[in-house]
Amino acid sequence: MNPVIPENKKISPFLVFFVINSMQTGVGVLGFQRIIAKSAGYDGWIAVILASICIHFVLWMMYKMLEIAGGDLISIHTFVFGKTAGKILSSFYILYFCSLAVTTLRNFIEIVQVWMFSDLITFWFALVFLILVIYIVYGGFRTITGISFFSIILPSYIWLLFLFTIPYANFTNLLPIFNHSTKDILLASKDMSLSFLGFETLLFFYPFIKRPEKSKKWSHLAIVFLTMIYLYLAILTFAYFPEEQLQKNIWPTLTMWKIIELPFVERFEYIGIANWCLIILPNACIALWIASRLTKQLFSVKQRISAPILAVFCLIGTSLLMTRDQINILTDFVGQCGFYINFMYVPLLFIVTLIAKKVKER
Amino acid sequence: MKKTIQKNNQDKLELEKILLKSNDFENLSFTNEKTKIKFCFTYMSTLIDEKILQDNVLPALLKEEFQQLDDVKEIIPISDVQISDNASDIEQKLFNGYVLLTIIGEYNKYCFFAAQKEVGRTINPPEVEFSVIGPKEAFVESLDMNLNLVRKKLPIKELIIEELSVGALSKTKIAIIYIDNVVNTENVNTIRQRLEGIQYDDIADSSYIVQMVSDNHNSPFPQLLDTERPDRVSSSLAEGKVVVIVDGSPHALIGPTTFVEFFSSFEDYFLNWLIASFFRLIRLFSVAFSILVTPIYVAVLSYHYELIPRDLLNALVASRRAVPLPPILEALFLELTIELLREAGARLPTKVGQTIGIVGGIVIGTASVEAGLTSNVLLILIALAALASFTTPVYRMGNTIRFLRFPFLLFAELWGLLGIVLAFCFLLVHLIRLTSLGRPYLEPVYPLRKVDFKDSFIRLSFSSQGHRPLLLRSKRPKRVDESDAKKKKDIDE
Repeated sequence: MNPVIPENKKISPFLVFFVINSMQTGVGVLGFQRIIAKSAGYDGWIAVILASICIHFVLWMMYKMLEIAGGDLISIHTFVFGKTAGKILSSFYILYFCSLAVTTLRNFIEIVQVWMFSDLITFWFALVFLILVIYIVYGGFRTITGISFFSIILPSYIWLLFLFTIPYANFTNLLPIFNHSTKDILLASKDMSLSFLGFETLLFFYPFIKRPEKSKKWSHLAIVFLTMIYLYLAILTFAYFPEEQLQKNIWPTLTMWKIIELPFVERFEYIGIANWCLIILPNACIALWIASRLTKQLFSVKQRISAPILAVFCLIGTSLLMTRDQINILTDFVGQCGFYINFMYVPLLFIVTLIAKKVKER
Repeated sequence: MKKTIQKNNQDKLELEKILLKSNDFENLSFTNEKTKIKFCFTYMSTLIDEKILQDNVLPALLKEEFQQLDDVKEIIPISDVQISDNASDIEQKLFNGYVLLTIIGEYNKYCFFAAQKEVGRTINPPEVEFSVIGPKEAFVESLDMNLNLVRKKLPIKELIIEELSVGALSKTKIAIIYIDNVVNTENVNTIRQRLEGIQYDDIADSSYIVQMVSDNHNSPFPQLLDTERPDRVSSSLAEGKVVVIVDGSPHALIGPTTFVEFFSSFEDYFLNWLIASFFRLIRLFSVAFSILVTPIYVAVLSYHYELIPRDLLNALVASRRAVPLPPILEALFLELTIELLREAGARLPTKVGQTIGIVGGIVIGTASVEAGLTSNVLLILIALAALASFTTPVYRMGNTIRFLRFPFLLFAELWGLLGIVLAFCFLLVHLIRLTSLGRPYLEPVYPLRKVDFKDSFIRLSFSSQGHRPLLLRSKRPKRVDESDAKKKKDIDE
């Protein structure tokens, strides 16, 4: 049923770490602190850990399902619902991933427009960016993994630079611990989980992993690594900003960069934002790759044709979003979709798959 | 039977008819003193050392007794004597410096003996890849001499030299060299297949071959390493690589290769590993510097003044105060001047070239600052960048680096730092996608192979070079048998 993927197009298990990590790190890192502090205040860091634990659980379910169905999400859908219903369900994912790409790209452009170039024209930048994305997608999954790899390795120096804020930090901000209700913390965890979105891509690139059972360790490590980064950032941010000031700051991470001063660089946020271009690049690539691959599997259109077509849709979508409000509406909508897909639909699918397996075994 | 004989002779006659138009074609007849047999030499006088013919061959043939061509082999005092009954050999042999000997009356038998005239350079010190320490011989144009240089370095029976000829007109001889029990046969097959697939009539140099057998024809990056050093070739062979030497070209080609290999000079292996690693890192840094410095200047001065601390900005602004041009034009003007100087310097004889360099560098540079066309700072930066681009040990890569600066400049003008990162992403993706003989170009960084770092950005000591590069998937991954490697002693033992 599934065309076999040639061995030389597959990736080593440890690279899964980079693919999942790079998909998860996106624009969210720049502004998640305010969102978790909204409901849970400075207990927000607990929400980071809670969300991370949930994600480990969902990831485990995904691996179980993939092992049962042997393949990707499409094979799971066919396994459980049969061919036609499976196809219809899978095709929703094309829409989801396209809008994910649009959200990431448009949010990034928004940041650039606010912080660097107020007169950057969305269309032209998106056009060049998407041409780059198509060039990567044409290189196949190994190229995408490569760009994911570099997008984690090359900008990793940035994480160290946050240490510049420590002289100005006041860690007593974090005290007292646990002064928010469980409900608040759970609400914050739900918000936090949006920043972790991206691991669902595993459902699609699973057939591209050599010895997939070995990749489990790496994908869980990816989540652990990202949790560490988020915790580190959250704690530094909470120590750096008083709570009221944080609420007025949409991108606290960027504001923190302002304090960094090197002998030859005064305003580090410019370099940081430019660097972020490399970080969000795999987001768009993986999303577009999955969308075009789904189109290929469901409607048997060649990826060489479907990828540019989908990119044109993304380009149109990105240029149509003009105001901050519109961007927010789309971001929230995609976030909600992602939440329901990962934390409602996947567990549900997991249970149904288990039942289907039992039934078929009889 | 008789018919074929006649037909064969006709072949020879027809060939002679064409060859007679050439002035250097000779067809001489002589008679043996004892048996009175008439024989005939046919050769191209420009390719033949006529002294061999006169001093060695002719006296023997005139005086010694022989009846037919088969006897001649023992009489001629030359080792390379071949007897053939195939008329189609004649053309190929004549143009490779053989003399055709025929006996009049004996059809369908041809005797060839070698009497090539050796014309060409003798071995000189390397010019492009000169090294202060180490061997000082470089390849020349003659294939035989080059092969001799390689064979002498690796006197083992496993060193295989395959030969094939490419090009409908030039019939260029190409040698594929590898060590049989070390190399990965897949690599040899790839290169052989690609060489055989070449469809072009005239192969003038190994540079033609590089471009024709590359994995990606549209990439500015060279995908085979070229070298003029026999020592580099022999050590690449020992690593398990495949070498291609083209007749008429003093540059051998080595593959598969990686991106970082282009920044390793062979002199690195003659120096202590610490020093060698340091030099390599400097070279890599200078490449990054050379590509990025002008674009960053343009980006910062066009868009991000705020990025620079105040003190530094003062200096920058002061030097630019009189300049009426926007930074991009200023930068392009200077970059093009440097490129002009380089082109002019490369085309002119050395002595004139030096003068031009001084005139260009000092006069134009100072004058353009004084005329207010450029700023001092940019002049320094561009001169440094040009200098840095010449540190790459492989000339071909240096060209690529200089070329890459221009797209980066354009992107920097378009979107400042963001543009530079975007251009960098394009470059990165291109490098990720690139392969050399089907092996990843960015190895050992991506795909990540820790062991191969030992000889990439840095070069570790020889004691840690016990394994051949994983990239090559060699038949014998280990270079040395580690069973008798010395055990480390503890203090005071």
